[in-house]
Amino acid sequence: MSEENTNYIEILTKGIWKENPVAYQVLGICSALAVTVKMSTSIVMGIALTLVTAFSSMLISALRKKIPSNIRIIAELAIIASLVIVTDQILKAFFYDISKQLSIFVGLIITNCIVLGRAEAFALANKPLASFLDGIGNGLGYSLVLIAVAFLRELLGSGKIFGFNIIPQFFFDAGYQNMGLMVLAPGAFFIIGLLVWLKNSLPGVSKEER
Amino acid sequence: MSERPDKASKKSVILFALVLSVICSLMISAAAVGLKGFQLANMELDKKINILKAADLVDSKKPDKTTINALYDAHIKAVMVDDQGKIITPGVPGSLNLYLYQENGEIQGYILPINSRGLWGKIQGYLAVEKDGQTISGFSIFSHSETPGLGGEIESAWFQKNFKGKKILNAQNKFVSVGIAKGKAANLPQDLQPHYVDGISGATLTGKYLSEGIQQTLVTYDAVSITFRQKQAGAVKKGPQKAATPAGIN
Repeated sequence: MSEENTNYIEILTKGIWKENPVAYQVLGICSALAVTVKMSTSIVMGIALTLVTAFSSMLISALRKKIPSNIRIIAELAIIASLVIVTDQILKAFFYDISKQLSIFVGLIITNCIVLGRAEAFALANKPLASFLDGIGNGLGYSLVLIAVAFLRELLGSGKIFGFNIIPQFFFDAGYQNMGLMVLAPGAFFIIGLLVWLKNSLPGVSKEER
Repeated sequence: MSERPDKASKKSVILFALVLSVICSLMISAAAVGLKGFQLANMELDKKINILKAADLVDSKKPDKTTINALYDAHIKAVMVDDQGKIITPGVPGSLNLYLYQENGEIQGYILPINSRGLWGKIQGYLAVEKDGQTISGFSIFSHSETPGLGGEIESAWFQKNFKGKKILNAQNKFVSVGIAKGKAANLPQDLQPHYVDGISGATLTGKYLSEGIQQTLVTYDAVSITFRQKQAGAVKKGPQKAATPAGIN
């Protein structure tokens, strides 16, 4: 990618769909397994990751000519880690209940490959605005997958959406049971695997069109 | 350009690292200090909600902040007790935290803080006991790190409600604590049922550790429970004397 890549809409949508971080780049799987038991946690996780990726990409891009290449990764991690801690503090202050549910996973954004991956692959070679949009796009792409996975897992695993019961009681009376597998990490593995397959088999998506 | 322009000056690398670290640490400190007030207020409120929940004063729906504070101030009194179950002034080493649940100035029960081991981390919550010193009146969890959907179900209302009415003493008035059954409590022998709540499927270990934690807490606070039982026994002895007259007439 060159410095002249100024097609902002393309940069933004690329991360959301065509080069979706989870379904195409297969990054950030660990957290996608961990936080997708419920819809509410995955949405907050998606927002947190989007913001962290966007701002860290922007900052790293702004500093890209200053960062000495031999301490590049350390410098990037320092920036990302600081942003993550600040995000965690903000969540604890204003979204206490959700931060309690996300607990350790917000802190683990630091180790999320998407953030460092975008910093390395895009921000070091592009201008701050483009990097910011790239971060937003990738964050949204990640959130999209998270929400899709969480929807299925919460529905099949607990019979709920956003904590509200969706599966009517007479289903349970008739012998329907929640799928315990969906609550556990392997359930997410299956769903993510199916999503990757689905995305890459949709016509035109994995090709150069769009 | 030479092949490694950055290598040229080690000084500039160190300087960059230094400046970056200082900026980052300033940012983190600012966030931590600036938001501390909000975070502490949240934690305080969360604690109050869970104490109220254990005392069965709020249901699972979340009331607003002022209601919580008003309810808490009206009904809950935090005290310290010594190992004999006597209320003491705070600051004495070895004293235990205890919350009294009052209704119009009369003590209706007491609430014990639970600090238990869990499968992945600590489980913290509250256990409310009625003034008879043996009947559980409520249970709540405010912090845990169990698997969401499995051990994490200890947060859910159905699980916590089951504690209500369980006894920590058996028919012979011996201490047996309350525990979490493996599966449904109804499958247990008849004489154990008053001491067990339904377990969570897929969370056997969480249940085991939490049962142990509850038992430990109840043992630690045994003196308090005994004090309450004695008081209750005293009241009961006095009670029937008053009621004796109508019974005698019959």
